[in-house]
Amino acid sequence: MGRFLANRIISMLITLFLVITITFFLMHAIPGGPFTREKPLPPKVIEALEAKYKLDQPLWKQYVDYLKGVVTFDLGPSFQRVGVTVNELIAKGFPVSAKIGGGSILLVLLVGIPLGVISALKQNKWQDQVVMVLATLGVTIPSFVMATLIIYIFSSKLGWLPSHGLTSWKHMIGPMIALGGFSLSFVARLTRSSMLEVLQQDYIRTARAKGLSEFVVVGKHALKNALIPVVSYIGPTIAAILTGSFVVEKIFAIPGLGKHFVESVGNRDYTVLMGVTIFYAAFLVLMILIVDILYGFIDPRIKVGD
Amino acid sequence: MAENKSIPKTMWEPIAHEERNKEKISRPSVTYWQDAWRRLKQNKLSMLGLIMIAILFTLAIFGPMIANHTYSDQDLNLTNIPPRFEIYKIDKDTFVHVRRDYTLIQVSEDGEILGKVEETEDNIFQRYRAYKIEGKDIKLDYSLAAKNKDKPNAKKFMLLSDGEELIPYKKVFNKTYWFGTDALGRDLFIRVLYGARISLTVAIVAALVNFFIGVLYGGISGYMGGKVDNVMMRIVDIVSTVPLMLYVIMLMVVMGAGLKTIIIALGLTYWVRMARIVRGQVLSLKEQEYVLAAKTLGASTWRILIRHLIPNAMGPIIVALTMQIPSAIFTESFLSFIGLGVSAPMASWGTLASDALGGLRTYAYQLFFPSIAICITMLAFNFLGDGLRDALDPRLRK
Repeated sequence: MGRFLANRIISMLITLFLVITITFFLMHAIPGGPFTREKPLPPKVIEALEAKYKLDQPLWKQYVDYLKGVVTFDLGPSFQRVGVTVNELIAKGFPVSAKIGGGSILLVLLVGIPLGVISALKQNKWQDQVVMVLATLGVTIPSFVMATLIIYIFSSKLGWLPSHGLTSWKHMIGPMIALGGFSLSFVARLTRSSMLEVLQQDYIRTARAKGLSEFVVVGKHALKNALIPVVSYIGPTIAAILTGSFVVEKIFAIPGLGKHFVESVGNRDYTVLMGVTIFYAAFLVLMILIVDILYGFIDPRIKVGD
Repeated sequence: MAENKSIPKTMWEPIAHEERNKEKISRPSVTYWQDAWRRLKQNKLSMLGLIMIAILFTLAIFGPMIANHTYSDQDLNLTNIPPRFEIYKIDKDTFVHVRRDYTLIQVSEDGEILGKVEETEDNIFQRYRAYKIEGKDIKLDYSLAAKNKDKPNAKKFMLLSDGEELIPYKKVFNKTYWFGTDALGRDLFIRVLYGARISLTVAIVAALVNFFIGVLYGGISGYMGGKVDNVMMRIVDIVSTVPLMLYVIMLMVVMGAGLKTIIIALGLTYWVRMARIVRGQVLSLKEQEYVLAAKTLGASTWRILIRHLIPNAMGPIIVALTMQIPSAIFTESFLSFIGLGVSAPMASWGTLASDALGGLRTYAYQLFFPSIAICITMLAFNFLGDGLRDALDPRLRK
């Protein structure tokens, strides 16, 4: 276990280092500096700005400085918003995004898995068909279409849900569904197929032969084994929800990290772009590590030491 | 012996016709691919998906060729006309449609757009516009709109002809612009068709990248094994921990938005999953006897990989392809939606959807058509992919 962890953490750090390096040099490969405007600034001003943001130093020194900054959790100032640091943006935006993202992961698991189980238990009956049609629709509708549909139908036409902002629990419903819709459908399909496979196994027949109640057979013996592929999908789900937040937060006007990220793409705020990318990468790598460790606990057949 | 010599001639008769074919193998031998195709044909949904993809390609390739205007032709007089609208009868052969911004468009009885009607008076204080059509004084009074602002279903305007209120004559489909026009008076149908071109270009590029880079990378990694495999897979691990979208966004920012950049960005990142799948396949396939046989006969590594291993891994490769293509189309529309896609006036489905956001409440059809186009394409590829997975699975072979 210790060796496994050490290995994983080392490869995690290498990944992060490479991500930082790639983003740094990509951002510095952009033609024109961050202060290139339609109306050119006077050379004196540019000089002063470059000196302020240390852009006049050689590239390798900037790189080393940036690395040092990342290690001490300092991602530098924003180029476009005066007096705001990337750290502040993340500190403000991430809790909002995490609230909605966490909510939609819960939604994916708490709705997706039961739907998949029902569908597997009632194979080829109407329940199964309804779930499969919904799940197929769910993977074909892009999140931005889902989000606009929710606003159009539930906010604009029916007036049930607020259309933007994030002040009450009602505000969370729309974004959560739009964010989680795709993964929910995917998890339902995944649970269904793995449940169907598990229900064919001998140990299920044994459990039934012992006279266990259907509830115990399904809940304890079948579900536990059927969930293994679902657990391995949690990592990609987090990634999907993270990228999904770019558009969903934009559409619902939620002041989360995704919205900042997309805005920084729009107004070419390179430090924010770099900082948030690195933060996302670090967050994901950490989540994947946690899922991997959990995976070892859930499925004892997988030796974490390998 | 004597008996043998005297076999009567009558015994040397040809056997009956039915018996003649008894020795033949009645069922033709079916190859893996023939069998897969046969099973795919039985799956109605996948055939539907296949037909839908074929129609999409045909429309995308030939549609813009035969259309009478292009994606960028705009007519600022004919903006925001919906695909289906109410018409009012002014005279025997004169019909008008009231747009949502309370201006009049002259139309024919079956829904052809004839042009904008120029107003004779535009009184913004008392909220009416006056027109003169066929010698009649038409007054479009939209003062109700302000009063009924919060009631979405209440009446918003009155159309008066010589002082008499007109009631809607009937609802017709737009015959000139099938999907209506957008905020700049461009034909939405043509724009959706051009969007299909972009999406399908992206699909083809993603498929090629997957096929050439992903398959070869995975194949080499799996076949070489050992240290080479280890290093190559570590690279894949590192590339794939960070979501592809982040790389693509970074690349788009660096290289500037545009179709070319999307293609390059997809090319640099989209082979990863395929590489993993192929590697897994090759790892198990390379232990097979036919690889040993090929080696014994002196086949080169390259030949074994290209002629023996990859063709045998083709089933999973094709299934993965049909899953990767829609995800590439998704990525493209996602990028276009956040403003990193093709540049104006060219439009992909994502751009069209994003453009429609502003006027969503009033002109919902502008979002509807590109979204439906994305969904249909996704459905088609998903149906085909599901069918192919079943058809190419040797365990299900009968």
